[in-house]
Amino acid sequence: MALDFLQVSQQVKQMGETALQHQADQKTRLAETRAMLEGCAAEIEQLQHKVQDVVRNYDQTLRCAVPVNEVMNSNHPLPPMLEHVTLIAADGSQIFADRHAEVEYCLVNTGAIVMMCGSADAPVTSIRSRLIYAEELEGMSDDRLSLQRDLAERTRLLELATGAPAPVITLTDGPLELWTTTLEEGRVAGEFKKSLDQYLAVLSQLKDLNVVTAGYVDKPGADLVVRLLEVAKAEAGDLAEMRKFRPFKGVTDRELFKDVLQPGERSAIFNIQSRSSKSYQGELGLHFFYLNVGKVEHPYLARVEVPAWVAQDRAMLDSLHAVLVSQCRMIGPRAYPYLLHRAHETAVVSLEEKDQVTTMIVNELRTRGLEVAGVSAKQYNKDVSGTRTRYGT
Amino acid sequence: MTQYEIGRLLRAGTTGFVVGCRAAQIDAPSFGALVRVSLDGDYQVYGLIHDIHIDDDGLVRQLVTAEGVDEAVIADNRVNRNVPLELSVLTVGFQLDGKISHLLPPRPPLSLDVIYLCSAEEVRQFTGSGRFGYFRHLLRAEDLPVGELLAAHIQQAAAAHAIAGDVEWKNAATQELITLLRDDYSTLMSVLGALGDAS
Repeated sequence: MALDFLQVSQQVKQMGETALQHQADQKTRLAETRAMLEGCAAEIEQLQHKVQDVVRNYDQTLRCAVPVNEVMNSNHPLPPMLEHVTLIAADGSQIFADRHAEVEYCLVNTGAIVMMCGSADAPVTSIRSRLIYAEELEGMSDDRLSLQRDLAERTRLLELATGAPAPVITLTDGPLELWTTTLEEGRVAGEFKKSLDQYLAVLSQLKDLNVVTAGYVDKPGADLVVRLLEVAKAEAGDLAEMRKFRPFKGVTDRELFKDVLQPGERSAIFNIQSRSSKSYQGELGLHFFYLNVGKVEHPYLARVEVPAWVAQDRAMLDSLHAVLVSQCRMIGPRAYPYLLHRAHETAVVSLEEKDQVTTMIVNELRTRGLEVAGVSAKQYNKDVSGTRTRYGT
Repeated sequence: MTQYEIGRLLRAGTTGFVVGCRAAQIDAPSFGALVRVSLDGDYQVYGLIHDIHIDDDGLVRQLVTAEGVDEAVIADNRVNRNVPLELSVLTVGFQLDGKISHLLPPRPPLSLDVIYLCSAEEVRQFTGSGRFGYFRHLLRAEDLPVGELLAAHIQQAAAAHAIAGDVEWKNAATQELITLLRDDYSTLMSVLGALGDAS
């Protein structure tokens, strides 16, 4: 037994005690945040200018929502579903390089699925697997590989959307904005820039094809609108310390909109203000809305990210809105777009499959008389003591 | 001759084997049907389907709770998803060098061997060969619904023989069962009851 359950149970008890107080504080903050939203919901232009002012003069790193043209606490009912829509979802998974393994390699696997909504035909699935080895492996961090995976997903969507019967909607899981932790700085910044340029080119081509494209964020933890409300609340004296000015800290957008949106309704459209979102200009500008895909007794909110060409086209927005709610209702009580789940199922690489790929590579190298490094002593000892199911190591 | 492929072998033993197939293939095989596996050369193993097992998984369990399942979703789960149906087969004989035997085969079929549904002609050849020796494999299988399995098999085989003008096969098969089960009254009654229901 690796855990000292006595110690943990005492800490769990303390956690429960503090959670009570925390919950009470959160309730108060949430009520204040909601009041703020009610109070400034229609102050669209003032808030746009105030955000610009903060970014220009006080905090260039400010990450928040910016209202576009809809009243911020408005709710938009579920529009009717189009009779025929081509819906395409893609998801990726990967095998990260492991220097302790027998051989070092990476793999990016992209699963995609195309469904003709309005038809009883079975959707069509496809998989693209790309092995990364030798020189390509140089400097391949987990972040870089994740970036390759994200890029492969979007490229696959473009391939499938080209020539598909209109109207076409493409979906990916997660934000539309490419996100990395270390790639934006240091020696690999060039690599990120290259991938970002490729990604923006793919987005532009999707726009040229008149394709609705969206990123679906399940159980979003962001506070983009809450942060906007903090900007709204800030007095002139607070602006200089905007980074530290967090009167609604801990409140999420999901909690904020939970009681605003009825089942099937979407929120107003917001723009995203962030340092990295500057790369997405004009028709590619990043926007989002919240969508209640739950039920009356159990609201469940998702954030949907869309580029400007979708956000500015009411027909596109409505078709996306209707399709997402329909997809979420297909899967049962745990609302999530059916096709995104299937794309994930199609893409996911299991541990057994990873082992099979490793064996294939080892056999190929040995057949050709090449030396295989073998597993590290650390990995070997882990394997023989049967610790592979231990969490987090 | 038209060959109707119903699936591929998942696992096997000398006395039986399990076949995996996609949901789209399920309309042909039925409980009690005679199937065959072609191995090397003229070697074939015969068996009777005694169980059709449909697996679920987390997604299917969730989908059944949805309000109205979309036709495309049903088709997706039946055509694309890796949730095979399993057909359990009781081995009842084999064919080697053109000769049918109702003994257990010398070796079982192998993983991924193709399983075919027997045509009426093949059913006549197998069931008309010898003196119903394969019945003992069914009567020995205590865990199976023997009466129902025999009734389903005899009904299907009798139909195959009737097509060729042989209406006596069913009577001969029933007489053989009465002889084999003369010391086991409860099983005999169960089998005859099932046969009566089937006729």
